[in-house]
Amino acid sequence: MVAFSNGYLVDNLTEALKIRSEFEVTPYAGGTDLMVEAKDDAVYLFLNKIPELRRIYSDDEYIRIGAACTYTEIFENTLTPQILKDSIDYLAAPAIRNMGTAGGNICNASPKADTALIFYVADAKLRICSASGERILPIEDFYVGRGKTVLQRDELLVEILVPKFGLEHYYYKKVGARQALAISRVAFAGLFSTENGIITRFAMAFGSVADTILRFRDLEALFVGKTMTEAKSLRDDLIAKYDQAIVPIRGRVSADYRKSVCMNLLEDFLNQNGI
Amino acid sequence: MQSISKSIPKRDHFPKISGRAKYVDDLQIEGLLHGKILRSSVACAEINEILIPDLPNGYFVIDKNDVPGVNSVHVVDDDTPVFSDGTVNYVGEAILMVAGRDLKVVNQILKQIKVIYHEKQPVLDMMKSDTIFYQYGYTKGDWESAFRDADKIIEEDFQTGYQEHVYMEVQGMIGSYENGKAIIRGTMQCPYYVHTAVKRAMGFESDKVQVIQEEMGGAFGGKEDYPSILGCQVAVAAYKTGKPVKVILDRNEDITCSPKRHPAKMHYRAAIKNGEVTGIDADVVYDCGAFTTLSPVVLQRGLICATGVYDFKNLRVRGKAVKTNTVPNGAFRGFGGPQTFFSIEMFMDHLAKEIGLDSVRLKERMVVKQGDDSATSGKYHFHVPFPAMIEKLDQISGFRKKRETFRHQTGRYRSGIGISLVYHGCGFTGSGERDLIKGVVKVVKNTDDTVELLTAGTDMGQGLKTVFAKIASDTLGIPLEQVIVQNPDTDRVPNSGPTAASRSLMVVGKLLQRAAEKLKQDWKPGEYQEVVEKYVHPDFMIPWDLSKFQGDPYPDYSWSANAVEVKVDTLTATTEIVGAWGVYDVGTPIDMAIIIGQMQGGFLQGIGYGSMELLGVNEKGVIRNNSFSDYIIPTSMDVPNLVTEVVENTYDNGPFGGKGAGELPAVGGAPAFVEAMENALGVNLHHTPFSQEDAMKVLEALKK
Ligand SMILES: Cc1cc2nc3c(=O)[nH]c(=O)nc-3n(C[C@H](O)[C@H](O)[C@H](O)COP(=O)(O)OP(=O)(O)OC[C@H]3O[C@@H](n4cnc5c(N)ncnc54)[C@H](O)[C@@H]3O)c2cc1C
Repeated sequence: MVAFSNGYLVDNLTEALKIRSEFEVTPYAGGTDLMVEAKDDAVYLFLNKIPELRRIYSDDEYIRIGAACTYTEIFENTLTPQILKDSIDYLAAPAIRNMGTAGGNICNASPKADTALIFYVADAKLRICSASGERILPIEDFYVGRGKTVLQRDELLVEILVPKFGLEHYYYKKVGARQALAISRVAFAGLFSTENGIITRFAMAFGSVADTILRFRDLEALFVGKTMTEAKSLRDDLIAKYDQAIVPIRGRVSADYRKSVCMNLLEDFLNQNGI
Repeated sequence: MQSISKSIPKRDHFPKISGRAKYVDDLQIEGLLHGKILRSSVACAEINEILIPDLPNGYFVIDKNDVPGVNSVHVVDDDTPVFSDGTVNYVGEAILMVAGRDLKVVNQILKQIKVIYHEKQPVLDMMKSDTIFYQYGYTKGDWESAFRDADKIIEEDFQTGYQEHVYMEVQGMIGSYENGKAIIRGTMQCPYYVHTAVKRAMGFESDKVQVIQEEMGGAFGGKEDYPSILGCQVAVAAYKTGKPVKVILDRNEDITCSPKRHPAKMHYRAAIKNGEVTGIDADVVYDCGAFTTLSPVVLQRGLICATGVYDFKNLRVRGKAVKTNTVPNGAFRGFGGPQTFFSIEMFMDHLAKEIGLDSVRLKERMVVKQGDDSATSGKYHFHVPFPAMIEKLDQISGFRKKRETFRHQTGRYRSGIGISLVYHGCGFTGSGERDLIKGVVKVVKNTDDTVELLTAGTDMGQGLKTVFAKIASDTLGIPLEQVIVQNPDTDRVPNSGPTAASRSLMVVGKLLQRAAEKLKQDWKPGEYQEVVEKYVHPDFMIPWDLSKFQGDPYPDYSWSANAVEVKVDTLTATTEIVGAWGVYDVGTPIDMAIIIGQMQGGFLQGIGYGSMELLGVNEKGVIRNNSFSDYIIPTSMDVPNLVTEVVENTYDNGPFGGKGAGELPAVGGAPAFVEAMENALGVNLHHTPFSQEDAMKVLEALKK
């Protein structure tokens, strides 16, 4: 461990968790969120030299992405699903992608987080550790509101567990104010799969619309297990239900604009999948 | 291409790109104090009281009572105070400065100061202003008959928004006071403007004020007037404290209180008879903000440009610049031109539709040519290369064919292509060069035969040092390395005028060329020699009369033809810029890479103005988006296919045939972009910036 005037640099997870449990520290991955309004008195726990947080590997079920892997590393890894690569391709610009991490994106808990949207739609799970143990939770359960998570003050996000299957057939669109270095004004990700004419996977996530990323599992359930013909007959009803469910907040762009984009993309997603 | 156009590395290239260049904020000065300005948080109020905490030793508060001369900053007029005179007129107006050793302590003190305001209702809408700062108007031909006899009269309203400069280096100055002399150094376009202003505020003689320009990281017009204000403030602070005082704005502060492009509202009428536009009538309002700064001249240029590049026989143009309780607006690349050029270009597009012509056809038919009278009854004395430029534009963009193909579209994506034809009048507006500036340059030959060019011209990244050196080196026939150009210091350089108005190369460069020619004739190796050269007004010009608003406002014009192609995604209302093509006549490019750099950057800036650069002021007069995450400018990714070409049309009164270049490219981007959007969406549009949200509104309306 190296102690700096503004924090601690550690090279293994055990030590990191120990410091995390003993001191009031702010985890620091790439710093691209933290440094925008840096606090003078903050004490940081630097995560970028912890090997357990820097690897990407897979097991039977999941691609496991270390929380402190940079976007560039994730993008360049062959295990990374294309939908995640697409989101990285439109995220910030190369300099930020070389520093920023998926873990930071998740823990910053912004509804505008581009990779968090992908983890949402993909049913990813988060592996969270503390000196006294670990827990694994679905990403949706991690958030309590804008900028708020269930992360305890002695915990670190260690890995993101992305399901290996069912991500091939996807729809992704990010709408920013410009082509690069643009925070999402609306982002949409959808997954769709069928087996023998039956819809097996139908998921949609909406970013930058409300205080957290939105997913409506009850509405998705209307389609799962249905035939394409059944889905077609339910289409108008589904659209009407989403139209009610999505209530954008006004931000840098109007709620009306956000709503129009969400509904247009949702319909296009259905169209593209023959519904 | 002439040999002088062959590009060389810019003089500031390696220092800046390597990080070695020292900007004002990098300077280490013994005993330096940091100053921070307390700014008004309300838009319109009288100050009842200012509660200041006890100050620690070595910390100072500087306000209007500390101004030794006049508490006013000379720009064109003198209404801007150095520090608030007891009223505040916009959010961000300087009330006082706190200065001391430690910036953190300064900031703490600043937070503890309480200002008790007696608030008044601010005027935020320029149309509701009852204070007209400036007003001009002119007519040509018989505009009344044209409208009386018209088959049809078309009327439309146009609106353009703010634009923030977004120079990379924020505003910053250091003032010091030594032996009865005020020394000001910092980032600035016009050292002698600062000099004049500081002299007056301090009540000093000329030789007791010295102004030094430090390395500059961009300006775009934003450092034409504001440095005079900041210069006076640091001068007063140094005088009071007896120590050098540095003030560097932070970005949010800079966006809040530095000048921007004037928002404008414009009402246009056209008389149509037998399928021709027989008269035009423009009524223009520019929003000055709370003080006048450069507004009279900005408005003048705006009015001169109001009928565009077309030969209207009958016209009337009127305009006023009004006060609102918002940040004072000032110079910005194009200087009043982009607003009216946007309107006339869009109006021409709409008139063409009325007449049943493609807009380019109408524009081509009406475009001015050499010998035509200008709108202000001056003359286009020189060749206007539009026909060749439009042909070239078609070659590189294929706009004629695309117009046809984009006519009737369905489906998710809609394409459009827009064309604009614009000019920028080169040099100071009206008789400014002759009556106000009277530029002087000095060329010194040292005993080692190096030659130093002494002018007040500043290099803000636009390449002035490089082109000045090239002009001297080519004229004298000596290697470039033998030519010295340093940042100006008013103790050393004569007043060659401000670095503004696309005048430096054409006017000051010409003076340098003439001085160099004289030196060459009289060259005495190993001897110290000096040549001083003074401005001579071109005799072909029809004298400018401001009271009548008539005559030649500029000796010559730079021209551009622009095309922008868009592809609109109807689901998201986002727009991809498929291509942007610009063809420019800036006379002889004195350095091709510099010119292409200027054209590309300016064009992109113009497209930003037309599309995404939205600055919002809320109902309390506060700029809502004073940060880079919220004020969006285009990046190179937004217009990856940006093609710029020049046609060479030499201007004999400029050095090696060069004329104004810097501002021209920022003028034509917005109308070309917005016409492309019209073309794609199939509706008439009337404002900048035309944003994603605006496009969505149109798309939603079309659905219904
Ligand atoms: C110019 C710019 C452009 C940007 N563009 C985008 C964009 O297009 N899309 C987008 O989504 N974001 C964007 N961002 C935001 C930012 O880059 C991302 O959110 C990035 O993923 C943050 O990662 P980081 O590693 O830099 O986080 P950091 O700044 O290091 O940390 C962010 C937060 O997460 C916490 N944290 C980090 N890692 C852990 C961990 N392992 N365990 C517990 N807590 C942790 C930190 O304490 C902090 O609160 C942009 C930022 C900038 C400056």
